[in-house]
Amino acid sequence: MISRVAENCFWFGRYLERTEATARLMYVTRNLSMDAELEPRQCWLPVVIVCGEEPRFTARFGADLPNEKIGEFVEAYMSFDTDNDSSIISSVAAARENARSIREVISLEVWEAVNEMYLWLGSDLAKSEYRNARHSFYKRLRQGCQLISGLLRSTMLHELPLNFIWLGMLLERGSQTARVVDVHHHALMLRERTHQVIEAALWLSLLRVCSAYEPFTKRNRGRVTGDAVAQFLISEPLFPKSIAYCVHEAWCRFLVIRPADQPDLPGEQTQVRLHALDRWVSDHAAQGAAGDIHHLLTHVVDEIAVICAGLGRELFGATTSQAMESAQ
Amino acid sequence: MPRAGFQRVLTELGASTADEFAKCQALAEMAMMNQGVTFSVYADNRGTEKVFPFDLVPRIVAARDWVALERGLAQRVVALGHFLDDVYGPQKILRDGIIPRELVLGAQQYLPLIHGVKPAGGVRVHISGIDLIRDPEGAFRVLEDNVRTPSGVSYVMENRLATKRIFPRLFEQASVHRVDHYPSQLGETLRSVSPRDPDQSTVVVLTPGSYNSAYFEHSFLARQMGIELVEAPDLFVDDDRVFMRTTRGPKQVDVIYRRTDEAFLDPEVFRPDSMLGVPGLMRAWAKGTVTLANAPGNGVADDKAIYPFVPDMITYYLGETPLLGQVPTYVCLRDSDRDYVLDHLSELVVKAVDESGGNGMLMGPQASKAQIEEFRQRIIADPRKYIAQPRIELSTCPTWDGENRCMEPRRVDLRPYVLTSRDGPWVLPGGLTRVALVHGSYVVNSSQGGGSKDTWVQKEVA
Repeated sequence: MISRVAENCFWFGRYLERTEATARLMYVTRNLSMDAELEPRQCWLPVVIVCGEEPRFTARFGADLPNEKIGEFVEAYMSFDTDNDSSIISSVAAARENARSIREVISLEVWEAVNEMYLWLGSDLAKSEYRNARHSFYKRLRQGCQLISGLLRSTMLHELPLNFIWLGMLLERGSQTARVVDVHHHALMLRERTHQVIEAALWLSLLRVCSAYEPFTKRNRGRVTGDAVAQFLISEPLFPKSIAYCVHEAWCRFLVIRPADQPDLPGEQTQVRLHALDRWVSDHAAQGAAGDIHHLLTHVVDEIAVICAGLGRELFGATTSQAMESAQ
Repeated sequence: MPRAGFQRVLTELGASTADEFAKCQALAEMAMMNQGVTFSVYADNRGTEKVFPFDLVPRIVAARDWVALERGLAQRVVALGHFLDDVYGPQKILRDGIIPRELVLGAQQYLPLIHGVKPAGGVRVHISGIDLIRDPEGAFRVLEDNVRTPSGVSYVMENRLATKRIFPRLFEQASVHRVDHYPSQLGETLRSVSPRDPDQSTVVVLTPGSYNSAYFEHSFLARQMGIELVEAPDLFVDDDRVFMRTTRGPKQVDVIYRRTDEAFLDPEVFRPDSMLGVPGLMRAWAKGTVTLANAPGNGVADDKAIYPFVPDMITYYLGETPLLGQVPTYVCLRDSDRDYVLDHLSELVVKAVDESGGNGMLMGPQASKAQIEEFRQRIIADPRKYIAQPRIELSTCPTWDGENRCMEPRRVDLRPYVLTSRDGPWVLPGGLTRVALVHGSYVVNSSQGGGSKDTWVQKEVA
C-alpha cells in the first residue's frame, strides 16, 4: 500500500474518532452542567483541558469568563470555531479532506456518508439545529460517525487500508480515554470531601462520556467509586473504549500491517514500542492495583504519541503537517 | 425540428410538468454534490468545489450516425499515432513535404529530446478525446484533437447514473449503448502496453493531487479500475526503473496513466527549478522499463496549427479517404492565410495553438474593436502561435432552463473517447456532450458557464 495513502487512512480514522469523541464530550458535559449542584466552570473547563486547548482558549477569551457564559463559549469554540484545530468542524473537515485524498480506497458509501456529514455541518440546517436543538445536533454528529464506522466494517475489504484506519481510530480513542479519565480523576482528587452525590454524578458523567455507563453497571454492582470507574476505563479488556482494549486491538491491527514473521518490513521500532505498551497495560490490569493513576495515564498518552510519530517515520515516510502534529 | 427517432423521448419528457422536471433536476444535482462529483475551482480559495453543471435532458445519437462516426474516429486516432511515431522517428512526412517542417519542429509541444525513443508497448496515444461539432447539414466535424491528457470521461459515467436513476423507463425504451465498461477497457488497454507480463504488471494513475480541478476523475478512474492512485512524491526511480513507496517497501511500477502535465513529469528534464515530478522518470521511459500513457511529446499532434493537416496524414499514412470532416482553418504562419485572417478578423474565431479551455480565443463576430486590434498585434508578433476558423454554427439540443422553467435549445458539442491498446483502437459508444447553458452562448467549457449532458448512443436494430 502506498505510504502516503496509508498515512491518510490513519489520519482519517483519527479525525473521525476525534469528531465522535468531542461530540459525545459536549453532549454529556451539557447534561452534567444542568445539574444545579455543579458550578458551570467545574463542568466546562475540563473539556477544554482534555482537548489540549486550555492555553489557547484562555488566551482568547480570558481566564475569568462569568459562570453563566462559559458553557456557551466552550461549546461554540469546540463546535464551529474554524480557528480551533480541535473543534468539531475542523475535525470533520480534516476527516473529509483525508477521505477525499483516499477516495479510491474507501467505499462509495463511506465517502458519501463522510461528505454528507461535512456538507450538513457547513449548512444553515446544522447551525439552526445547533441553536434550537443542541442535543440533537450532537447526536446527529455521533450517529454520523457511527454510521461511517459501521460502513467501514461492512462495505470494505478487511485488508491493509481498513487496518490503517482502525489503527488510527484505536490509538486516538485510547489516548482520548486516557486524557478524559486523567482530567476527571485529577479534578476530583483535588477536592477533598466532595459531596457524595455530586461525586457520583461526576463519575457517572465520565462513564457516559465514554459511553461506558451500561457496560460498567454490568461489571460493577453497588456504589460508583472513582477507583472502580477508573479501573474499568483503563483495564476492562472487553470494553471497546477502555485503554487496555484500544492498545491491544491497535497491536493486533499492527500485526496485520507488519506480520511478526516478516522482520524485514519497515516498522520495527514501532512494533517494539506498541508491543511493550500493550504488555504494560495488560500487566497493570492483571495486578488490579490502583497505584498512581495519573502516572499511568500520562505514560499511556506519551507512549501513544511516540508510537504515532514512529509510524510517521517508519511507515509513512513523509514530513507532512499531519506528521508534525503527531510529533508534538 | 427534432431528428427522427427522438420523438418518443421528447414526448415522454414533455409529459412531465415543469415542477416535476425542476424537482428531478434538483435531485440529480444534490446526489452529485453528496457524492462529491465535483471539480475544484482554480484561482479560488483552496478547497472550493463545484458540481459540474449537469442537464438532465439526454442528447441522443442515432445508431447509423454513430457507426460512421466510430470508424472515422478510429481512423483519425490511428493516423495521429503514425504521425507521432514518424515525427519522433524517420520524419518521412516532413521530408515528403506533406506538412511544413518548421510548423512541426517549431511547435511548442514538440520534444526534440525524445527523438528516437520507441515507447514500450508501441502505442503513444492510449487515451484520446476528439471534440466534435455537428454542422447545419447534420454532419459531425472534428473541432479539436486531445491526445495529451483529455478529461471528462468520469462525467460520462456519472451522468449516465443520474439519467438512469431518474428516467428508468425512458432509458429502457430508448435502447442505449452502455458506457460503464470504460474503466475495465481502460485497465486492459493500459495492461496491454506494459513492458512486462500484463497479468503481473502494476498499473497506477498519477495525479497532481487532491487540489487539482480534475481530481475527482483521477480517483474515480483509479477506483473503478481497482488500482493505486499515486502522486509524484510516491514514486522514485532507481537503476532506471520506477518504484512506488509502500508500507512494505518499494514496489516496481510498469504502467503509469499520468494525468499530470508533461512539464511536471520529471524535473531532470522539463523544469530543473521545479520540485514537482519524479526525477529520472523520462530516463526510465526512454529505456523502456515503464510505459507512460499518454506518451510525452504527444502535444505536437494536437497542436491547433497541425490540425489542418490531419486529413493529409490519414491519406499519407493509411492510404484512405478521411471519413470525418473538420473545420476550415487558416494557419497564420502561412503568408497567404495570415493576410486573409488579418483582413477578416471580425468574422473569424482566432485561437492560440497551445491554449485550451476556451482561453486565448477571439470570437471575432462578438469582439470589440479593441479586442480585435489586440489580436491583430499578437498575430503579427507571433504568427506561429495562432490559427483562425470561420465561426461554425453549433447544433442545439433541448435543455432545461432553470430560470424560466422551460425547455430551450442550447448549443452543444461532443467529446467521444478512444482507447488504443496494443491491438488497436476502441471507441466508447457515448461521450461527453458539453452544452452552453447560457442563452445565445457558443462557449461550452465548464470554466465559462458550460455544463454537460448524458449522451445516448442508440443500438442498431438487429
